[in-house]
Amino acid sequence: MSGPAEAVIAGAEIAAGHDGSAELVLRLRYPNGGQGVVVLEADKGLELMAACGAAHLDELAGHSWRKLLEGTCST
Amino acid sequence: MFDVIVRNGLVVDGSGEKAFKGDVAVKDGLIAAVGEVSGPARREIDAGGRVIAPGFIDPHTHFDVQLLWDGAARPALEHGVTCIVPGNCSLSLAPLKAADRPKVVGMFQQIEEMPPEAFTQAFDWSWEDFAGYRDAIARNLSINVAPLVGHSVIRLWVMGEAAQQRTATPAEIAAMQDLLRECLAAGAVGLSTSFVDLDEHGRPVPSRFADFAELDALSAVLGEFGRMLQCVPEFYDVDITIARIDQLSELSLKHAIPTTFSPVFDNTSTPDNAPRILARVEEQFARGARVWPQMQTRPIDISFSLLRPSLFFARLPRWVRVLRQPLEARLHSLNDPDTVAKMVEDLGPDGGRKMMGGLIVRGGDAAPAEMVGRTLGEIAAERGQVPAQALIDISLAHGLDVAFLAADMGHEDTDRIGPMLAHPLVHIGASDGGAHIASFSTYGDTGYLFSEFVRKSGRLSLEHAVRKITAETADIWGLKGRGRLTPGHAADIVVFDPATIDRAEERPVFDMPGEGMRYVRDARGVDAVLVNGEVAYLGGAYTDAKSGVVCV
Repeated sequence: MSGPAEAVIAGAEIAAGHDGSAELVLRLRYPNGGQGVVVLEADKGLELMAACGAAHLDELAGHSWRKLLEGTCST
Repeated sequence: MFDVIVRNGLVVDGSGEKAFKGDVAVKDGLIAAVGEVSGPARREIDAGGRVIAPGFIDPHTHFDVQLLWDGAARPALEHGVTCIVPGNCSLSLAPLKAADRPKVVGMFQQIEEMPPEAFTQAFDWSWEDFAGYRDAIARNLSINVAPLVGHSVIRLWVMGEAAQQRTATPAEIAAMQDLLRECLAAGAVGLSTSFVDLDEHGRPVPSRFADFAELDALSAVLGEFGRMLQCVPEFYDVDITIARIDQLSELSLKHAIPTTFSPVFDNTSTPDNAPRILARVEEQFARGARVWPQMQTRPIDISFSLLRPSLFFARLPRWVRVLRQPLEARLHSLNDPDTVAKMVEDLGPDGGRKMMGGLIVRGGDAAPAEMVGRTLGEIAAERGQVPAQALIDISLAHGLDVAFLAADMGHEDTDRIGPMLAHPLVHIGASDGGAHIASFSTYGDTGYLFSEFVRKSGRLSLEHAVRKITAETADIWGLKGRGRLTPGHAADIVVFDPATIDRAEERPVFDMPGEGMRYVRDARGVDAVLVNGEVAYLGGAYTDAKSGVVCV
């Protein structure tokens, strides 16, 4: 059984940013099992949610990390 | 005869040593005696039941512009701060050619949120070089200032438009070195740079176009003076931040300079970040590098209005959909009873009491005065509504221009933050005083240090907390003769009540040029502040003293 060939979004949370805005904290899971964190500002976070068709933070999980770059989303 | 004696206080001298009962005498702007002081003075201040401490030093501010019409950097001084470091994050008001002023004004407006009138009406912009700026602020200072010079403006001076387009040539780097040398000779306490900040058009500020060779060359000049390199790393990514720590450490070791970076803050969603950063700092200090992480004391709040979509609603799909619409469509949806009913339903049976009840209505915008400072839960109850409905109705009634604040949403866990602040390699700072003025208050972090981490949680002793923001800060920055109540040191003194010192609630004021708004927090529990031996603040009021200096 093979795992995903590239990093995917493993989870998302809202956090307070340095400038007092709400930011999106994305946890990425890499094929080797490692995890990393990416923080997106409000506009980018909302764009990602829209691009992924995610109505809720939890629905970001499983989407490809590439969607952070491409602005479109697929699993 | 002494000029001033502060008598009968608990002397916390900045060294970290145990406090003792005594007096502090001042003559000719300097500490003259500490202990049981006999003899007369022209003025005596009774400090019975109070702490006598060195004035606090705030190492990360953006008061560059405000200092031109407010030499006390209000309200910093009333919080006991007697020395500030402006010019952070690559931006200062000098050196700057007249033709380049609009560019830098835009950058300052982006960071500080100052109204345009602050730059066009509030002062006579008469200088271009750093010495000129130093002289312009020095005329009116009530507080001491240790100014950084900004990498972005040095780049702009030398490269013009190209400063935001490319790396520098060797000749341009050499010219920047000469200019930095001139600024340091004129009183700059170091150089600030940024890998993060944007101008008002969303373009990276000039310092972000520098390559390592440029930073290395400028650090070499800092090494000639033994001065500080301040840096804003890519703090949103802990791995890049750690890489910057390594880079700063190399510069520190190679050129024998201190370096500092900020912000470092703790969030429960990324609990490993701050500990990883501190672990790397420890490793680099063990190699001999000086790479000081600055950490703020205050928690981070989230604020928003319905004028702009916020991720605060990210767990409410319908709210996100409605609020992401263009303004006209958004207003249409928010005026549609069916849509609003469904939005309220989304909050569940409690109508948002848990999620929204604790939101605080902020002032400074269209919010009616009777609501400002109160919780949405209280207001909703009065209106006979659930909080979600009240939030929408209140917003609609005021053109959506009502801001709400969710307090303590980050960097708020005292049990985690306290030990970090107490860490011997953590530099307490990063207040950002004078920045983000229309978004939140950046004043009173020192009061919060004492109220939360000394008095309430006991994470730091009184002596330790004082040392962290006085002697330790002076030593890190090389501010000679400051930060300690020691004979011969500058008589920068704060007298405060250890039982009550705190920051007051945030409130909007309209005291910026052009009646611009900013959020401030008043001081609590600070009785007196002396700057270079003169009483600058006493009994809740500022005096006419202008004894502040540009100090390095």
